[in-house]
Amino acid sequence: MLFRFVERKWWYFLVSGLIIVPGAIFLLLGGLKPGIEFRGGTLLDAQFTSAPPSEEVRDLVSGLGHTAIVQRTDGERLQIRTAELTIDETTAVQQLLQERYATKFVGVNPSSVSASFSEEILRSAIWSIVLASLFIVLLIAFAFRNFGWAAFRYGIAAIIAAMHDALLVLGVFAILGFFFNVEVDSLFVTAVLTVIGFSVHDTIVVFDRIRENLKLTPGEPLNPVINFSIMQTMVRSIITSVTLVFTLLALYSFGGYTIRNFALALLLGVISGAYSSVFNAAQIVSLWQEIEDRLRGRTRPPHKGLTAV
Amino acid sequence: MSRFWPWIVGLIAVLAIWVDVPKHGVSSFPFNCPGICFRLPGSAPGFQTEIKTHLGLDLQGGTQLVLQLRPDKLPGGTTTIPLAELNTQARGVIDRRINALGVSEPVIQALGDDKILLELPGVSDLQQARDIAVRQAFLEIKVPGEGGAFKSLEPPLTGANLKPTSVAFTGANQNQPVVQFEFGSPDDQRWIQLSKDFVGKPVQITLDGREISAPRIQQVFTSGGGIIEGGFTTQSAKELSLLLNSGALPVPLDIVQSSRVEPTLGQESIQKSLIAGAIGLALVALFMIGYYRLPGGIAVVALLYYTVLTYAIFRLIPVTLTLAGIAGFILSIGMATDANVLTFERLKEELRSGKSLRAALEEGRIRAFSSIAYSNAATILSAAILFFLGTGTVKGFALTLGIGVAISFFTAVIVTQMLLRAAISFPALRRRSLYGVEEREVERARELRSAPVVRA
Repeated sequence: MLFRFVERKWWYFLVSGLIIVPGAIFLLLGGLKPGIEFRGGTLLDAQFTSAPPSEEVRDLVSGLGHTAIVQRTDGERLQIRTAELTIDETTAVQQLLQERYATKFVGVNPSSVSASFSEEILRSAIWSIVLASLFIVLLIAFAFRNFGWAAFRYGIAAIIAAMHDALLVLGVFAILGFFFNVEVDSLFVTAVLTVIGFSVHDTIVVFDRIRENLKLTPGEPLNPVINFSIMQTMVRSIITSVTLVFTLLALYSFGGYTIRNFALALLLGVISGAYSSVFNAAQIVSLWQEIEDRLRGRTRPPHKGLTAV
Repeated sequence: MSRFWPWIVGLIAVLAIWVDVPKHGVSSFPFNCPGICFRLPGSAPGFQTEIKTHLGLDLQGGTQLVLQLRPDKLPGGTTTIPLAELNTQARGVIDRRINALGVSEPVIQALGDDKILLELPGVSDLQQARDIAVRQAFLEIKVPGEGGAFKSLEPPLTGANLKPTSVAFTGANQNQPVVQFEFGSPDDQRWIQLSKDFVGKPVQITLDGREISAPRIQQVFTSGGGIIEGGFTTQSAKELSLLLNSGALPVPLDIVQSSRVEPTLGQESIQKSLIAGAIGLALVALFMIGYYRLPGGIAVVALLYYTVLTYAIFRLIPVTLTLAGIAGFILSIGMATDANVLTFERLKEELRSGKSLRAALEEGRIRAFSSIAYSNAATILSAAILFFLGTGTVKGFALTLGIGVAISFFTAVIVTQMLLRAAISFPALRRRSLYGVEEREVERARELRSAPVVRA
């Protein structure tokens, strides 16, 4: 009995599309909100034993001449965001909070980033995404080097699957940013890059099986080999994702506010990565092969790499 | 596998546990050494370093600044000294200032040529941190020019050649703090010459372009010394003395990033992430034992081994643990499981096809290897890129994730395999059901093998 993973590929692509498109729309609407690291500014993370209403704190800070956005985040914590403040101004805000809420004020963690430095951080974030993707394509191509030029189609399919997962995470955070003002920082970029790494990690296991099975059964058409390989590796994909989901759920629930969004991004990415490596990655390779066959007008060609094996 | 592996693995475990055990609070160590020590024969001081967990600022509290060198703000608007040299000099000055204050374990690092990263654990006063970092402490003596304004000498007489200064007290009750200074050669001769040229007139002592006092020269000096009176408190006189002794910054610095974490809030983060790590590990352990039975239990032992070893390596290198770093570590626990899952799934497959335990184990190991190697390589690669391109939190995360995955490769390939081999040497542990494979599945595989295989 074989599950028809390849033959139903358009259904799986449709599911991916339905999940990704809403997020992509909010991405285009500018839902992804850059944090102070990427646009400069000051953030005061204030902890209370019982937090005062955010409007009250906002008015208090604006009394010092700073426009502030105040948000209650986690338990008795308030995040106060303003334009970039000098250290004297930051200290003044802190002293004011301390005087005003002496009994219930625990402490504040201020951080400031200047606009010039934030540009640099953003640039290095973008570079790291581009370089990481490039190196991963090369790594996969190397893994499939026996297939000659066809190696790159596996590399590119793995990257498309990884982009699928990155896009899903970005989309969800665009929605969160649009409705709840959730901001993204360099930790988020890290999460996206890690998701890309994971997704490729997952996909490689499937592709490695395809490679092995192609070697074992020369002459077999590509699609059945793909179906068989996915089925053989699916249990492992699920188990691994489940263990990762466990650790991430623990991080999300108990790790505190600072890493909650980070854990959420990874959680989404890991689940999406498991889906894309089972239902998308190899299907893209198969689609590529079909398109190539159609262009060349062949009906039932042997799979690529057969002669090289 | 070599028969030496069990010894090596065991030795590593013992060493790792020794490294992990907290050393502080224990009163005596052999040879008074709480860590790694090499005592060279003779009078050589040897090498001594304490083994401990290095916590980042976000966990232990403190202040972090990123400083931008601004040579364009120098008086001439430019300088012939290369940026890298200015950076080194500026870090030297800041280092001397911090040492004088007694901040323990500060970090003063160049970020490229044009930036400096400064981390001050335990300093929670942002203003104090700023003063340490960006006060230029450029002392200059100016003389009366035309129209009552003061002007610089040619070349300027600056604090570059000062001997160490100190705080003294003057006034009727000997209670007015002043800063005593003395020029070294050849500026001491210029200072004496200046007093001859301008006797009876005021000279101006400026710090960073601002006047701190303008005393009248009463008589010709006989030495290169003098005092600065500026209506100081004892505290501010001490600060000025310290700044002058540490030297002036060679270039103005701007703060482009600052952050401060309260020690109490850092403590809270440590507790939270420890709880998260423990719960994560427990969940994975339960799941693995529940699903894989005997191999699952072996995987949990390997996972504990992995945790102990990784933590030891973090303490040895040492890796500074931040919140993001701990997240990377916890995540790598999940990753470490993957290599075991790959091995066990292969093992099951081989068992189902009717192979003996020993043969299945060997076949599974060989076949799972390439998947484990390539997939770990993908993660280590992205961690390496994050490490080299990232800053701050990103670097910490990438480092712990990368090290974690690298070590998990070792534990999955060597330690798990070793334990599995050890397990099957006990006859009681050789039943296939302990490995999650039913006997009838194997029977069916045997029957199928005699029939022609149809796959699609």
